[in-house]
Amino acid sequence: MSTYPAKLDAIISLFEALPEEEKRENLIAYSEQAKKHQPAPGESFDLEDIRKDEECTDTVGVFLKVGPEKQSHFRVTLGPQVQTLTRAMTAILCRGLEGCTPEEILDLPADFVPKIVGGQLVRIRSQTVYYILTRMKGACRVFLNRLRSAQA
Amino acid sequence: MSQPKSQYAHPEVLVSTEWLADHLHEPNTRIVESNEDVLLYETSHIPGAVHIDWRLDLQDPVVRDYINPEAFADLCSRNGIDPDTTVIFYGDKSNWWACYALWAFRLFGHGKVKILDGGRDKWAKEGRQLTKEKPHYPPANYPAPLKRHDEDIRAFYEDALAHSEAKRPLIDVRSPGEYSGEVTHMPEYPQEGVLRGGHVPGAKSVPWKKAVNDDATFKSAEDLRKIYTEECALDRESDIIAYCRIGERSSHTWFVLHYLLGYENVRNYDGSWTEWGNKVRAPIERS
Repeated sequence: MSTYPAKLDAIISLFEALPEEEKRENLIAYSEQAKKHQPAPGESFDLEDIRKDEECTDTVGVFLKVGPEKQSHFRVTLGPQVQTLTRAMTAILCRGLEGCTPEEILDLPADFVPKIVGGQLVRIRSQTVYYILTRMKGACRVFLNRLRSAQA
Repeated sequence: MSQPKSQYAHPEVLVSTEWLADHLHEPNTRIVESNEDVLLYETSHIPGAVHIDWRLDLQDPVVRDYINPEAFADLCSRNGIDPDTTVIFYGDKSNWWACYALWAFRLFGHGKVKILDGGRDKWAKEGRQLTKEKPHYPPANYPAPLKRHDEDIRAFYEDALAHSEAKRPLIDVRSPGEYSGEVTHMPEYPQEGVLRGGHVPGAKSVPWKKAVNDDATFKSAEDLRKIYTEECALDRESDIIAYCRIGERSSHTWFVLHYLLGYENVRNYDGSWTEWGNKVRAPIERS
């Protein structure tokens, strides 16, 4: 049985079945959709984390809203220098993790990334494919810590 | 073919964005994009440009080395490049990988090479034409070069060590933090598996970025001479080795020293800090 959330699992299965060339085409298509996952005007969030880290080539903003059933909803802003693979992973994760609980996201293993990206593209200088997932997990961790503090 | 640009030693190796826009279909010329962003070419590129990937196309898939002459001949032939083709390189990151690819072409003796001054960023910022359409050229016949000219423009660990011991010019082109040993990776990048921080003893810190303007074009010959000739006491006869982390930023400096300033004896130590900083008992200086 899959350890991945259903929406993410469907994306992983799609990529795993693709030859390398079509994998690249699909990654580019996802990278072009990254802008659709920016916060909408007036949208409010439980947590906003905008920063420029050494692990990424430009500023990345991660916005998290958690619903009453603890379903997560991510929005992400990306600076212009962010690499194409990171843009693609942003769209994939925003879509694939939609509705998951923060706990499910924290428990998510990162081993699905090479299954999506493919062996050819995970290499030195493209390790930032893991960056967005790390940031999303960080947002979930902070959210849960705040929740626990509020409940204590 | 190129625009006049101050008093470079070899001004013909640079083409401007304006010139290239007017000469996209120049006969016997091939435009080559080479990037750090592995998917950038596929998102868009200059019309007619082919893609050469620094890892997949230029490096041996198993050993940490470059491809052999036969593989280089095959790479050129399938991209419609023959020994007489002028190859114009450009790419992201201020042309780091374009200079790296150009340097690799020189390893195989390909002489007709140029750089698009300002690279991909300048071209895009000027709103010039980009396309997703991949060109297809008839295969060319590129005979396998007789050898790879490693000894002319490439330095190995032993060469860099000998340079350090003899106090000959070593140029460390990494960021000041990497040079001092404060960090083991460049700002904005992940750790790339280096165990020790610092620099090769005796190496002088001259970050690659000193050689470029804000728009990624190369600084004037006068400015470059101030940096390298006056401040570093280098000259045309100096026996120079440049290094960084994996050889791409030092390719940029190699290009500046060799082509723009006309220094004859410049080598790129492509093993760079990812070799030196991991090597058991390699001497390291911190400052």
